[in-house]
Amino acid sequence: MTLLLWTLTVPLLTALVGVVPLPRWLKEANLVWGLALTFLLSMATARQFLAGPPPTAFEEALRVDGLSALVLVLSAFVGLLSGAYSVGYLRRNEARGLVSPWRRREFDALVPLYVFAMLLVSVSNNLGILWIAVEITTLVSVFLVAFHNRDTSLEAAWKFLVLGSLGLAFALLGTVLLFASGRGILGEGMAGLNWTRLVDLAGRLHPLTLKLGVVFALVGYGTKAGLAPIHTWKPDAYREAPSPAGVLMAVGMLNGALYCLLRVHLISRAALGPGFSGGLLLALGLLSVAVATPFILIQWNLKRLLAYSSVEHVGIMAVGVGLGTEAATFGALLHMTYHTFAKPLAFFSAGTLAQLHSSSDFDEIGPGTLARTPVASALFMLAAVIMTGSPPFGLFFSEMTILKAGFAGPHTAAVGVFLACLVLLFCGFFYQVGRLVLGEQPDAAARVPDPERFDAGSATTILAATLAVVSAFYLPQGLLDLIHAAVRVVEGAR
Amino acid sequence: MMSQDLVILFAAGMLVTAYLMVGQKALFTAIRLYALQSMLLGGVAIVMGLTDHRWHLLAGAALTIGLKGVGIPWFLMRVIDRIGIRREIEPILNVPASLLICLGLTVVGYRVSTGLADGAEGAAHHVIGVSLSMLLMGLFLMVTRRKAVTQILALLTVENAVFLVALGATTGMPLIVELGISFDVIVAVLILGVLVHRIVDRFESMDVSHLSKLKG
Repeated sequence: MTLLLWTLTVPLLTALVGVVPLPRWLKEANLVWGLALTFLLSMATARQFLAGPPPTAFEEALRVDGLSALVLVLSAFVGLLSGAYSVGYLRRNEARGLVSPWRRREFDALVPLYVFAMLLVSVSNNLGILWIAVEITTLVSVFLVAFHNRDTSLEAAWKFLVLGSLGLAFALLGTVLLFASGRGILGEGMAGLNWTRLVDLAGRLHPLTLKLGVVFALVGYGTKAGLAPIHTWKPDAYREAPSPAGVLMAVGMLNGALYCLLRVHLISRAALGPGFSGGLLLALGLLSVAVATPFILIQWNLKRLLAYSSVEHVGIMAVGVGLGTEAATFGALLHMTYHTFAKPLAFFSAGTLAQLHSSSDFDEIGPGTLARTPVASALFMLAAVIMTGSPPFGLFFSEMTILKAGFAGPHTAAVGVFLACLVLLFCGFFYQVGRLVLGEQPDAAARVPDPERFDAGSATTILAATLAVVSAFYLPQGLLDLIHAAVRVVEGAR
Repeated sequence: MMSQDLVILFAAGMLVTAYLMVGQKALFTAIRLYALQSMLLGGVAIVMGLTDHRWHLLAGAALTIGLKGVGIPWFLMRVIDRIGIRREIEPILNVPASLLICLGLTVVGYRVSTGLADGAEGAAHHVIGVSLSMLLMGLFLMVTRRKAVTQILALLTVENAVFLVALGATTGMPLIVELGISFDVIVAVLILGVLVHRIVDRFESMDVSHLSKLKG
């Protein structure tokens, strides 16, 4: 078997072992080491790509080009961090009797399965396989959202599955129409749905069918990415999912869905020019950033706050891609990378805060958490500083790159609105965080949180914080090469 | 020409089932209508496969009839049987108004179909027209109905519509892809069924308007 296939097989095996009832230390070791091995293998696959021609499998149904390699490595990285954090998270919840052994086994199988589906998304060259892989992530995350089996988890899971399936039905229709637009010339077999073939033959596709297909596919995969207008599942799902699963959705799924959007966008650009899908992505991205603004200002729940922040960030990436210049594309992909480094810290520190207070509602946690749970609060403050794009951290540079590219281009009015929203979002986020973390102490009768302890969960959070800070000043050369290779793919390289 | 007429007949039949579903409040009947609709979809695929000698369409048709015509309806009926809820409550919009809106949606669907490759003439015009209309009607059902099972049916109608587009506008999706898609749809329905159970256990109702705690 090739390296690429091993990269996909290892998480599947990890999931299989996860189903088996084993002692706890073995289950934990299986989850963490399985995902660590997956990460190493995905790095090796990316290295193989950098060294030679794109690795492929199954008649090019799977193919690793620059974009794939970047998303592959980032997804595997998030999978590993999430697995490591879940050790401490589940120990704490088990100690409180919130997780039954059956649920525990469900979790140990679902997380690696999710990682498998994310990796499959990132290496799919075939639009059909791509759709199937995205659907697997949806189905798996339904169980993760319903994990705690509260009233609200059922509500969130239901909304998530119905909206997600609807979005995917749109994406499927889009895929069908893309295939239909090449009637006859793409061939009947599996390879007819290959992205590479669609791009090669882009000039001969039927324009109107293609346009309709692109619209449906962008809206459909946009639903999965959490782009407005169908982003409404996101706050519910993030609030209900356990934090380690939340970060998989918030980073892994987001990157995967952005990958889908980019693939569709590139077909459309090759056939119809940059204006059509680029304009659509720009509009959806702007709408997402604009929609997130008021909801962050009125937010009442910590994890929903992160969800709207995630709507904002995917909006920023879509704007970057939609602007279409090379600099803006670089900004968008850089944003994706920095976001991948920053978001785990936000989720882990917020997850710990929520766990210590047994709730993620602001009323239950705050105000003045800094005095009671200093470490988690300080880490969350740091996450807020990084997530809002404050200098000197990475997201500041990527946002600046996109803004600079935007003001140089023809869409200055749109970019002006975009900038205004970003400023408002910055203020809104800090208003909320300040309210929560600082603020006066409530009277002594208020509920006292569990004391902070140093354990596997906090160790992972500190590791995530280190990575988030270090990434601002130093990105490994290999990762930079991958980002540049991905930009070249978006710019038309093969 | 005979086969073209058959294809158009089956496609029209699917449109009729979609209309009847909009006008229907008994859940059992709605599920049977969905089963009939899936069988007709299988019929379209069989006729197309036989006339053009595209054998992979027959495999797809067998899958459609077996899973969507028999399997899923049987599963949904069992879900309803166990939870003992038979009727849709009064929809947000009454039936005559809904039917009128669906008529408008059909016109829109047919109008859009003329823009597609080969969409303006022959059997493909009707197949694509019908499927786009069904797609819109499925979306409409989804936003106006409140019972969880009806929402599942609406989703499945949308799914059927997409498969019909695939038949009308392409030479059929590659078989492996179609297998994968069907498998995913089945799993989605199973999960939805499990969720309906949990929702009914918890709220003693399958009215999804109870699911409204999460806002803002």
